[in-house]
Amino acid sequence: MAVQSQTPNPDHNHDNDHEHEHPHAEISQSERPGYYDIMETAIRELLVERKLIGADEIRRQIEVLDSRTPALGAKVVARAWRDAEFRARLLANGRAACEELGISFYDDTQLIVLENTEKVHNLIVCTLCSCYPRPVLGLPPDWYKLKPYRARAVSEPRAVLAEFGTIIPDDVEIRVSDSTAVVRYLVLPKRPDGAEDYSEEQLAGLVTRDAMIGVIPVSIEAGGPPL
Amino acid sequence: MQHRTDDTMSGVHGVVFALDEVPAFQAGNRIRVLTRSPIGHYRVPTYLRGKTGLVEATIEPAAVDNEEEGYGRNAGSKRHYYRIAIPMSELWPNYVGSPRDGLRIEVFETWLERI
Amino acid sequence: MSQSQNLLTRLPNDIGGLPAEPIARVDHALEPWEKRCHALADVLDFHKIINTEEKRRGVEALGAEMVAKLSYYERWIAAFANILFQKGLLAPTDLARKMDEVAARWPTDPAGQ
Repeated sequence: MAVQSQTPNPDHNHDNDHEHEHPHAEISQSERPGYYDIMETAIRELLVERKLIGADEIRRQIEVLDSRTPALGAKVVARAWRDAEFRARLLANGRAACEELGISFYDDTQLIVLENTEKVHNLIVCTLCSCYPRPVLGLPPDWYKLKPYRARAVSEPRAVLAEFGTIIPDDVEIRVSDSTAVVRYLVLPKRPDGAEDYSEEQLAGLVTRDAMIGVIPVSIEAGGPPL
Repeated sequence: MQHRTDDTMSGVHGVVFALDEVPAFQAGNRIRVLTRSPIGHYRVPTYLRGKTGLVEATIEPAAVDNEEEGYGRNAGSKRHYYRIAIPMSELWPNYVGSPRDGLRIEVFETWLERI
Repeated sequence: MSQSQNLLTRLPNDIGGLPAEPIARVDHALEPWEKRCHALADVLDFHKIINTEEKRRGVEALGAEMVAKLSYYERWIAAFANILFQKGLLAPTDLARKMDEVAARWPTDPAGQ
């Protein structure tokens, strides 16, 4: 079933304005939202009317979500590459070390940071759903949440990595972490060759979301804005 | 079956620990994932059931059983989760890769037995 | 194990190790309602009105056909509706009436939606 989406209206930030009760006849978009869009609006408005949630909470949480992007994870990685003591604290308690950098965790999850080395390559997956280190990486890409990745990362990780163009030698251990409970994972990729003189900011610019999932390495050539 | 040694029953000064105050398993324990088949809600994937591995770490603090949490239990009856290491060759009979390759996964205490 | 037993004991999301196709590196920017839905999930969990694990269980409880045919956030919002009904926080009629009221804020589209 096709879900019709609202045409974004740049003149009216409609996303966050559903708390008011008056009809929306005055807005310029005339296309009725899709069925599930309407369901979301209806549930939210009913919960607010019944005082189960506050009118501003959803708006605030959208801002929280918008502020969480792979750029945060990239900062954590770059700091760990340059500061050995921070790296040690990060590996001992991922959440606490992120909080040191001002990256709050808005939920009950913990974070284990998985260090890639010459001997071990880490990969993260959630076979049962879509657990992902959202406070420090933002929302996961669709492919991470769909069956092919979730089914195969845990049983044929090398074939999966090869589909991303990543070949890991047989003498390197592949470790797949499958999230099922309160712990989330972030891969600390290996620092790329040729980046010895880079500043922390330049290093962060090399680190992509997919490298922190573990499907690709960090390299100087492939580096770009983390997304 | 959980086996508690004297070390986990009491500490210094004759302090006796409450049930589940001390984790039932420690890093290095060999464990087997149990083979029950719950309906309704579970967080131990079918591919893991009956497999043997090692406890890599205890996750602290003790927490609610997520299979009960799925039905609204938000507090109480807390036990530990454990990060378990299992070789890929143990999980998949036709595994293609290195014999070193392995899985890490968190499992709730009531799904494990020491072997 | 009979087919019906398997349906009951193997949840539709329990797919680790099953055969599957090559990975298509698809992604899409969230629609505004999807982002609102995600924010709603976080707020419901914060208040423990519907905790995250209840949401997961609610999605599973939709059953294999709906899990396959509804998109990611469609499954979430459907699960939220069911769970709110089960908890007595909302009645199906409340939601149906409210959805009609919300829908009426827009003119019917030419296809008579």
